[in-house]
Amino acid sequence: MIRNFTSVTKLYDMNNNVEAYVIVENSKTSFVPLDTANSDYQAILTWISEGNTVIDNPPE
Amino acid sequence: MALSRIDTTNMIEDVPQSKLDNNINFRNIIINGDMSIAQRGTSFPGLTNGNNSDYLVDRFNFSESGSESFVIDASQSTDVPSGQGFANSLKYLVDTADTSLDSLGGVALNYRFEGQMLQYLKKGTANAESLTLSFWFKSSLTGTYIAELYDKDNERTISKSYTVNTADTWEKKTVTFEGDTTGTFDNDTGRSMDLTFWFSAGSGYQSGTLQTSWGTTTTANRAVGQVDWSATVNNELYITGVQLEAGTTASDFEFLPVDVNLQRCQRYFYSNEVISNTTYWMDTYTSTTGYIVSLLSFPVTMRIRATMSYSGNWTSSNTTTSSPSFVAFSEQGYKMQARATNSARTFIYPDGAGTLTANAEL
Repeated sequence: MIRNFTSVTKLYDMNNNVEAYVIVENSKTSFVPLDTANSDYQAILTWISEGNTVIDNPPE
Repeated sequence: MALSRIDTTNMIEDVPQSKLDNNINFRNIIINGDMSIAQRGTSFPGLTNGNNSDYLVDRFNFSESGSESFVIDASQSTDVPSGQGFANSLKYLVDTADTSLDSLGGVALNYRFEGQMLQYLKKGTANAESLTLSFWFKSSLTGTYIAELYDKDNERTISKSYTVNTADTWEKKTVTFEGDTTGTFDNDTGRSMDLTFWFSAGSGYQSGTLQTSWGTTTTANRAVGQVDWSATVNNELYITGVQLEAGTTASDFEFLPVDVNLQRCQRYFYSNEVISNTTYWMDTYTSTTGYIVSLLSFPVTMRIRATMSYSGNWTSSNTTTSSPSFVAFSEQGYKMQARATNSARTFIYPDGAGTLTANAEL
């Protein structure tokens, strides 16, 4: 089942590498590490594969 | 004075013998089988479509399938079997009944096992261990219920039935699942096996013959004979003392100290509810703009890098956003970070009550 995320945003670390996704779901904010064993990360990958768009605002 | 002789004839016999038969530590593969740990809260109302896999008391999750109209209220209860040592049970209540389940509709309680925790069962070998499930159960609806083991790694299933004989009465139930000589469990942190207590099952789960021996999962054979508990409003059921152990006999329930029980649960979920506005979570002076980071440890090593969430608001000074971000950098810890905007004192603290959670559930 595809999760109904309100938004998915890339989170950058101090070296400007993506280190997590910030998801908003049912008004709750969560930080999902890039860990393939994490079920939320798996859900994000599925959500992306369905054509949904991740918000990407790299630090300047 | 002459020394007296000591009669040692009966000394050994006079020492009480310890009863060690049921004294194997951590024999229960189930964590929190006494339903005592409830980090997410004690009331979970309104469970229905879309709530499949929602966790209730620690380690146990609600399971549903189909496009159903039932509404189930779950809660941690103090209704327990008398004189057995339990303080809590898990309760399901039918808030809104569904008298016409989809073919593949159902209501259940589910528990998921980590593969590396199951290796000693020797599944997939000639020495595969049997598993005996015991639990206390009370339901307002008598009849046949199904308990099922599902081998997720190899798509194999075994189901056993038990009978609720008397309504609204605590009964201890025991079923034994034979060892499976086919299909090994992955030796990793992934989800390898499920235990499911069925409470209602649509016709698609019941149209065959109950699969009482391990075999390839066949949908029609999974819950044959299961009563339709969710078809009547105000039906309720309670369960506690869930124990799954190697062997063909059920031993007494293994009570663990509450601190040990909590730590075992925290491998999968951690809730920090001590956030208050009296504590600065970060307070430093930045000489330039850029990241400020605080490293924090989980109380126990978690199963995987967890998803971090928080509720409540934060107060900060000299940061680009009002709320910090939280990222699990390993199974052992996480970092709180924000970006400073100037050279100045930079601090962050929670603005009132809130909760920070780490979720590494299966």
